Order: sequence, then C-alpha cells, then structure tokens
Amino acid sequence: MKIITWFGTLTLDDYGKVLEWDLFPKDTSALAEILVQPKKVEIDIPPACFDIRAAAIECGFVGSTEEYNTLLRDVSIRAAKKQISGGTPDMGIIQAVEALDDIDDAANTLSERLAEWYGMYFPEVGLSSEPLARFVAKYGSRSNIPTDGHLYEKATSSMGAELAGPDEELVKGFAENICTLYDSRSRIEDYLVKSMETSAPNLVNIAGALIGARLVSMAGGLEKLARFPSSTIQVIGANRALFKHLRARAPSPKHGIIFNHPQIKNSPWWQRGKIARALAAKISLAVRMDVYSDGGLNESLKTELNAKIESIKAAHPKPPKRESKAGMGKGKGRSQNKQQNKQSNKKAGGRR
Amino acid sequence: MSTKEMSSGIFEITERGGKHLATINLVPGASVYGEKLIEIEGCEYRIWNPKRSKLAAMMIKKFNIPIKRDSKVLYLGAASGTTVSHVSDIVSEGIVYAVEFSPRTMRDLIGLCDMRPNIVPILADANKPQSYAHIVEEVDVIFQDVAQPNQSEIAAVNAMQFLKRNGHLLLSIKARSIDTVANPKNVFKNEIRKLEHEFDVGFEILDSRELAPFHEDHLGVMARVLRVRK
Repeated sequence: MKIITWFGTLTLDDYGKVLEWDLFPKDTSALAEILVQPKKVEIDIPPACFDIRAAAIECGFVGSTEEYNTLLRDVSIRAAKKQISGGTPDMGIIQAVEALDDIDDAANTLSERLAEWYGMYFPEVGLSSEPLARFVAKYGSRSNIPTDGHLYEKATSSMGAELAGPDEELVKGFAENICTLYDSRSRIEDYLVKSMETSAPNLVNIAGALIGARLVSMAGGLEKLARFPSSTIQVIGANRALFKHLRARAPSPKHGIIFNHPQIKNSPWWQRGKIARALAAKISLAVRMDVYSDGGLNESLKTELNAKIESIKAAHPKPPKRESKAGMGKGKGRSQNKQQNKQSNKKAGGRR
Repeated sequence: MSTKEMSSGIFEITERGGKHLATINLVPGASVYGEKLIEIEGCEYRIWNPKRSKLAAMMIKKFNIPIKRDSKVLYLGAASGTTVSHVSDIVSEGIVYAVEFSPRTMRDLIGLCDMRPNIVPILADANKPQSYAHIVEEVDVIFQDVAQPNQSEIAAVNAMQFLKRNGHLLLSIKARSIDTVANPKNVFKNEIRKLEHEFDVGFEILDSRELAPFHEDHLGVMARVLRVRK
C-alpha cells in the first residue's frame, strides 16, 4: 500500500511496516508548497493510527522527535499562511457592504450632532443629514450666505446666535468631515455596482447591485449564496422573524432584505409575499448562472420574472376580501394566539 | 496569593479577589487575548476565564481533564486560539494540532502559532479527517468545539483516524447548533445516545455535565475509546 505523508510517500506492507520511501526535499517552503497542493487520488492516506512520527525518524527524514516537531510546525505555519493569502472578489464585496453600513451608522450619528450644534446658530435652516453637512461646510456662519441664496431671507431674520471665530472653524471642520464620509459612501456604492456587475451580472440584473451585494454579504460569499435554496434567499435578513416563527407560533416572514427590491416594496401588501417568492426563485437561478456557468448575461430570467409578477398582479388585483374581514378577526385571533404563546412559553420556561 | 495544581499544568490561584484558573505562560511576558498575567514565585501564570473557554469551564465543573505535560492533542475548532493557547501552556513538552476551517480566524491563529513552539496550525474541514491525515499523528486527546450540527459524527470520524486506544475525547456540544428550537436537554440526551451506540469507534462516556452558567445550552462530554483495531 502506498501512502502519502507531509514529508514523502511511503510504501507499507500489510502490517503497516514501512518498506520503501520517497522523501520530499527537506526544505520548509518546498514542503509547504506540497502541503497546499491538492493530493493525488491514487495515493492513500495513512491508515488509522499509523505512527507518522516514527516513520519519519525511521526513514531518516528527521533525526529526533524535537526536530520533527519544529519542522512540522514551521511547514504548517508556512502552508496555512499560503492558503489564507488568496482573496476572491466577493470578499471585497462583503467588506464593502459592511463598510457601507458602518458609514451609515457613523454619518447618522454625526449628522444628528451637527443638526443640534448648528441649530444653536441657525435654527431656521430646515436642512438635515447630507444637505445640511454640505451647506455648513460651504458657508459656515449664516452671515456668509450670498444675497441671492434661497436661504438668505431666513438667515438675515434668524433668531440664532452669531457664529464666528474659532466656533465657526470648529463647526465648519466638523461638517467637512461628515461630507467626506458621504463622499466615501458614494465611492463605495460605485465600487459595489461595478464589481457586482463583473462578478455577478445575472444577479444584478434580477435583484439590483446593492441588494445583490447585500445578499452576497449575508450569505458569506457568492458561492455560498448559490448553494442556498430560494426559500432561504427569500427570508435572508429576517432572522428574528424567522426564528420567532420556528420557535413559537408566529407567522412566517414573507421577505428578508429582498423587501427593498422596488417590485416588492412598491406592491400592495397582499401581493408582496407572492412576488417575494417569485423573485427569490429567480435570484437563486441567477446566482447559480453566475457561479457555475461562464456565459454572461441571460435576459430570459428577467422577462420570465416580469411575466410572473404581471400574472400575480393580474390574479390578485384587490386585497383578499374574506381575509381582510377575517383579517380583523384574525388579528384578534393572532393576539389571542400570542397571549397563548406567551403562556405556553412561560410554561415551557417553568419546565426547564 | 497561593497556587494549587488542579490537574497537570492547570492551577488554581487564590488571591484577594477570589479564585482563578490559570496556566503557566509558555511565552513569559506575552498576553494572548488580553488575559491578566500574574507572577508568583518567579513563575508567570495566565488567568484562564471559564466564560471564554469551554475547556476551562469543564475544569471548573470538575471534569478529570486528561491532558498532561507531554500529551499530543488534536484540537478541532481552534478558532482564534484563545483556548488553544492554554492547551499549549499545559502540553509544554507535547504538541497541539489545531484544526480550523475559517480563513479569517486562521489569520489570528497563525499569529499565535508564530509565538509558540508547540502548535501546528491546519486549515481544514474537521468533517474530512482524510484531508489532514498526512499531517496529524496518533494523539492522546481530541478536544472538539466546533458548533456544527453533526458534532458527534465529526468526533467519531476523527477519533477513528487519530485517537489512540484508551485515548480521551473531550467534546463540547452546543445544543443550539444542532437544533435551534428543540429543548437542549433532549438534544443532549440524543447526542449522548448517538455517541454511545451509533459509531464503530466505540465511545465509553466517562462524564457529561452542562457548562452553565459559563456557557448556556452547552454540554461537556468526556469519553474514552475502546476500539478493537482492525
């Protein structure tokens, strides 16, 4: 029997005794290189509980147990470093999506602060978030607004305090920082759109670049997303609702982050679940095309999706009547259910 | 301040603030994840927090930890190496094979391996012992903390390939990763039954205790292998 070990290939007899050996060069980087390469199929792995260490000493590859430990450790570290050094484009997408969320959080917090702060000096400005930051970064004190500016009237009659000197510099600088955050945000969005279009054109065509990127990020990679069933894709991002549904008797979530797709968001509530199901199905097909086939864009998916959505809309033009009446009743029923759930949960908790 | 050796290489330090678990720092001066270092009589100890380590929690729960100074340990689910570092402290004359699947956490683990002489990092899927069978030798102890739905199967295939006869398996079972909604007690019962009866390797359960309050819904299991080699 021929087996492979990290230091060479060995030929064993039926009792596990080493008959012949063919050792790899005793060089850390060469050994690491061999370790990361996929193994050939025709060579076996060592049998269970085969003493690799003793074999290495017997073949004269290393002189002592200590040397075995040191060499194996060095080789493994080198190999592991090699294996994690490669990054794929979807890893960049994931980081960018997360960065986008972080920037949104930070920009919101800072914008609120700016609104409070600048409100001391010009409460009538009537702007918020990005427009406000751009405005303050441009003019600073309201006395700098040109006479033809549309806020000039409000600025001259403002009840706010005077903003000048070091205070003005401080507020202006603060606003400028917020502006660079917004700039950075739009650059990341551009990057996402571009890199999604190259690495997943079909997904972008069906879901849109940003929703697509978010799906990739939540799945942990394009290939992982391709392996998800469409029912999972439909509810990614609705974790809390989903687990509530699984644990208790809550209704199942109809849509996760794909809710932000205009086709769902802009549809009336009674069509959304159906459209979400159709959309998720097409998304999962699209991702699989992107990952497993090398062909570029396939327009037929989009046409099929649109046809499906049209047929859903045509079949359900009005809110379900019986349900809406029963909906009220059902609402009551639901809240009763909820109470029951609570009680039964308590009971379950008590039993624990 | 006083120290008492609870198990080979694992100490209980009593000081004013109370009692702590600790191991002797193999690389004096270096704190791995921000843990406190305490020097007593010329010997530097690293405080070991049971809330951050299933193995430390098992120690406090009075498991008879079978890891010795010269043990060879296969550590499945090494993550960023918090617990691995303490195992590396304990087996100062042995070796730890640390298997981790996620490239991101492997990055942190490699940083740890660079500092310590007795950890062999392996980027591989613990489901597939054949993918690292050409690196790992026969070991005395397998410690597994993988949070996968098929934890028992992973333990069985690895024990089959690597664990010596009468070697020990230390297993942390996370109920929530096997079934998110079922009652943990039932999940545990089921897993224990599986370990005892379903695998060729023949586990004998020596001890099993829940790791609460340090880790909710986790069961610590210690088993021995009574295999007849083919």
